[in-house]
Amino acid sequence: MKRIHPLSGVFLSFLIFASASFSFSIEQTELPKTDLPVLITSCGQSPGPVRLKAIFKKLDLEYEPKAYDVVEFLTAKDLKIYKDVGTPFKTLIIVMGASLKGMGAAGISIEDEIDRVSELMKEARQHGMTIIGAHIGGMKRRAQGATVGDNTDELSIDAVAPKSDLLVVIKEGNADGRFTIISQDKGIPMIEAEKLLDLIPEFEKLFKK
Amino acid sequence: MSVHGLHIRKCSFVILGAILMAFAGTSFYNSRHLREPVVLSPGVTQVKKLSDYFPGIKGTINDSNIYILEGTEPGGTILILGGSHPEEPASRLTTWILAENAAVEQGRLLVVPSANRSATTVTRLGGAYPPDFTIPTPWGGQKFRMGDRWSNPLDQWPDPEVYIHYPSRQELAYVDIRNLNRTWPGRANGTLTEKTCYAMTQLIQKENVDIVIDLHEAELQYPVISTIVAHQKGEDLAALVSMMISGSEGFDIGMEYSPKALHGLSHREIGDHTQAISLLLEAPEPFLDATRGRTDRALLLEGKDEFVLRAGKHGLLFEKMDEDGWPIDIRVGRHCSTIIYILELWSEENPEKAVVARKIPRYAEVKEKGVGFFLRDPTKEDPKNVYFE
Repeated sequence: MKRIHPLSGVFLSFLIFASASFSFSIEQTELPKTDLPVLITSCGQSPGPVRLKAIFKKLDLEYEPKAYDVVEFLTAKDLKIYKDVGTPFKTLIIVMGASLKGMGAAGISIEDEIDRVSELMKEARQHGMTIIGAHIGGMKRRAQGATVGDNTDELSIDAVAPKSDLLVVIKEGNADGRFTIISQDKGIPMIEAEKLLDLIPEFEKLFKK
Repeated sequence: MSVHGLHIRKCSFVILGAILMAFAGTSFYNSRHLREPVVLSPGVTQVKKLSDYFPGIKGTINDSNIYILEGTEPGGTILILGGSHPEEPASRLTTWILAENAAVEQGRLLVVPSANRSATTVTRLGGAYPPDFTIPTPWGGQKFRMGDRWSNPLDQWPDPEVYIHYPSRQELAYVDIRNLNRTWPGRANGTLTEKTCYAMTQLIQKENVDIVIDLHEAELQYPVISTIVAHQKGEDLAALVSMMISGSEGFDIGMEYSPKALHGLSHREIGDHTQAISLLLEAPEPFLDATRGRTDRALLLEGKDEFVLRAGKHGLLFEKMDEDGWPIDIRVGRHCSTIIYILELWSEENPEKAVVARKIPRYAEVKEKGVGFFLRDPTKEDPKNVYFE
């Protein structure tokens, strides 16, 4: 019989304690302030923003003049204009995951999208906006579900997720733990929902106060 | 060899060729002339022809039937197209279920089981496809033509060297001049396939159709699968349908934008050229995958294939594939439930344009009972209520 080193038990206990403490700290990470109105865009021209719009529609939020808006090609300049005309948005949701069809139709590349979104995030920071990185397309919007060699989804995630204040993901798209790792590494709170429909109560908690 | 022997040899080959031609010809003839009965649902109030909207299609094989189901209350109008690509049988079978079972309380449902009837009369040239398939029913079975993606060359030939889509002037694959889903919005003086699309565009405009749902199936190696492709006019509706179905029907369906720069497709051109919202539904059909094995009726109806399964294990598919495959009941059930949700959510958002229908089976019901359960026995019906596709 193989002998177990007396210190290994202590080490194992330490590991269990450390991992429990770590999970606890992630769960306890305070959610950022999420206020209306909300601007929704994508990083990769996927239909994700329209799908989020469907969720917001279901929330039936009361806010004048508009609780939320979807702008496909939202730019840093747009944020300045919103502020200048007195309609500053408080929360920015960027849907991660790319659509080659969407980008192809618009005649742009993922690099163009990353440039646009990076500038947008910088500007949003200056306006004190809360940034939510959302991944709601499941494995279809991950490299595993894309054409072999197409890594645009992952580039989109790299550009948005680590710089977000909150991650909102659908479980299937996090099957490999990619978002959990980012959340833990960067200390970003994460909401993980089983299905898109389950985001309705989550968003209700965030925005229907 | 003597001259006499040579003559005998030549004659033997001629006779052998004639016998083979006779067998093949009989098979082609029977397939082209197979009569597919549609037993009218009591909800069908009239059956029109495509030529009622464009006389230029009259007398052609594509003068298709349009089954109209009207409610007692006024509302909106939804057109459902089956058989744009007849080699995707879940599309036609779904329209059969609608035409034979549905009842409309408000608004109108227009159902076309053979959008490209010519394409139902041929199979992939050189593809060794089965000419037909049979759906088992409680009363025996009903035989359907297998069909192809393109119109029959007997009806439209020759193909041009280059196909320039009208009116966008975009160059498409030459063979797609016979592809109904590459010739929208059609052309009055064009080819048969273009005229067919033109006739349907006229139908959409004259009947003031609110939504067109074009039913399809796709190979698992194609990224646009298990999804609703939506024209921008219908993206909110498609997003809502996708979300509601994925949360409650037992299957997932995504949504994709209709690319603005890709022409000839129903989800682009109908939305661009008519008042209607255009949506295209895709269900998974392993029969269409390039890496499939034997291309037979079993694969068509059961959707099981060891080679496609292996492709999945290598991460080459855009939809899951396991030993259960993708049986026709599942594929038809998906279309049925998606149509139900489109109708319900559209009606909820647009009460004055509502289309309220009953007796359309849901996904779970089709999966459990099978497609054949919803097909009606034409021999037991008044012949007045039986039409043929």
